[in-house]
Amino acid sequence: MCGVGGILYKKIGSTGKAPIGENLVKMLESMTHRGKDSSGFTIVGEEIDGDLVIRVWTTTADQAAHVLSRAQETVQKSGGVVVTHGIWGQFLRLTANYEGDIPALAEALLNTEGVALHSIGETSEVIKDTGTPADMDSIHSMSQLKGTHGIGHVRMATESLVDVNHAHPFWAYPFTDVTVVHNGQLTNYHKLKRIYEDQGHRFQTGNDSELIAVYLADKLANGETLDYALRSSLGDLDGTFTYLVSTKYGLGYAKDQWSAKPLVTMETDDIIAIASEEIALRGVFNQEIDRMEPQNSEVMTWLL
Amino acid sequence: MATLDAAGLTTRELNVRLKGFAASGAEEITILNPQARHNIAVGIFDDCKIKINGSVGYYAASLLDGPEVAIDGNAGWALGDNMMSGKINLTKDAGASVGSTMQGGELFVGGNAGARAGISMKGGTLIVGGNSGFLTGFMMQKGRIIVCGDAGEAVGDSMYEGTIYVGGEIASLGSDAKTEEISEDEVIAVLAALGNHGITKRYTFKKIVSAKRLYHYDSLERLEKTII
Repeated sequence: MCGVGGILYKKIGSTGKAPIGENLVKMLESMTHRGKDSSGFTIVGEEIDGDLVIRVWTTTADQAAHVLSRAQETVQKSGGVVVTHGIWGQFLRLTANYEGDIPALAEALLNTEGVALHSIGETSEVIKDTGTPADMDSIHSMSQLKGTHGIGHVRMATESLVDVNHAHPFWAYPFTDVTVVHNGQLTNYHKLKRIYEDQGHRFQTGNDSELIAVYLADKLANGETLDYALRSSLGDLDGTFTYLVSTKYGLGYAKDQWSAKPLVTMETDDIIAIASEEIALRGVFNQEIDRMEPQNSEVMTWLL
Repeated sequence: MATLDAAGLTTRELNVRLKGFAASGAEEITILNPQARHNIAVGIFDDCKIKINGSVGYYAASLLDGPEVAIDGNAGWALGDNMMSGKINLTKDAGASVGSTMQGGELFVGGNAGARAGISMKGGTLIVGGNSGFLTGFMMQKGRIIVCGDAGEAVGDSMYEGTIYVGGEIASLGSDAKTEEISEDEVIAVLAALGNHGITKRYTFKKIVSAKRLYHYDSLERLEKTII
């Protein structure tokens, strides 16, 4: 069992000031009965000092400074500059004006020892850690982050390790701003992972949910629309899943053919909110609401 | 009449107090601010009326034996799970598995029902005023499901006994389910059941029952053939 949640402010424009972090923390905190192992968030549409925001985790706190210098070196080589950086414990966040291609930057960072790359985004970043959303917020303060939309997750691990890197969301390496949160289990994970690895895709963890991020990245890189990518996943992914995806431009969900995992959605003139349970929507909307429960093999996308 | 405000109570406190009121002979108990929380009004065995003003979460009004529960709002998964007797009346939508394994009583959903409505039902009546989702009446064993609107894919999949009536479109029949002529007496009974909830529209119901082909294996394994 896991809990997923997402929110999008329709009228905020492409660069926003909506309280995405605060609302996602409330939503996911009210679903900790669905998972307490780890939590994670993607906040999209932040105002960022630079072209890119990069989130990195290192195996020891000492390594963070080393990774930062490696990042500065790579960015500078491209003719760019690291604009801001912050290090707390094993976490490193930096923003940069970067002129090169994203895969080269991602490779350079990942090939530094003891590094996990949580996200590279033009307007979004992934913040994830072990513990509940409230625990996490006291360390990472993601409830302060404003934007246009975002997704979040609370995890009850079934298939792989419990640690910070196996927490959701999973970033679709090396495709900027595409991230996924998933509730379910994929049964053809190993088969598809081998196929994608043969094609040169890189996996950072042994978590089956990471496959969805890679799958969608592959489809989007080949010029498919998000809606088409979600629809084709219904047939290509085996097992149970309700997953949410966030991109620079919007949000989407896909629900498997068995309708095995829950999801409710609600839409007002201003806001779209989606979550595993109504109780999470009520974390944001205090009044009685009308909500919809998507059926089996259902896909939906909302664009800003 | 008693009132309980769920806002200041844990779910356990709420249910203990509710059971206390019911056991002490309260005729009507109102619950305020349920806030879509799980496991509200579970395991009530005394005849009484329980009104819940707002939406409830998973397993609401489950394991009931006797009371009449009226919920003004939505319900999450498995509303009325394993109900033995009594009534549940929900004004808006129900999540998946509404009326799962219910054995008696009547469960009315004013809006739509999610997937697997009436899964493994063993008696009683489940009425859905709107549409029902995927696998309606999955592995149903007894009782009656009435869907006024459309039913999703695989209606009556692997059902043993019992009857499903659908007033709208059937997306598809499930494995071992078949449609059958509906008798005049059944039409009268179904319309009467709906009339109790103020539904007077004269739907043309389709009746779905088990084809009972899954009761026996119709093909033998290779090894079994050599034995025979």
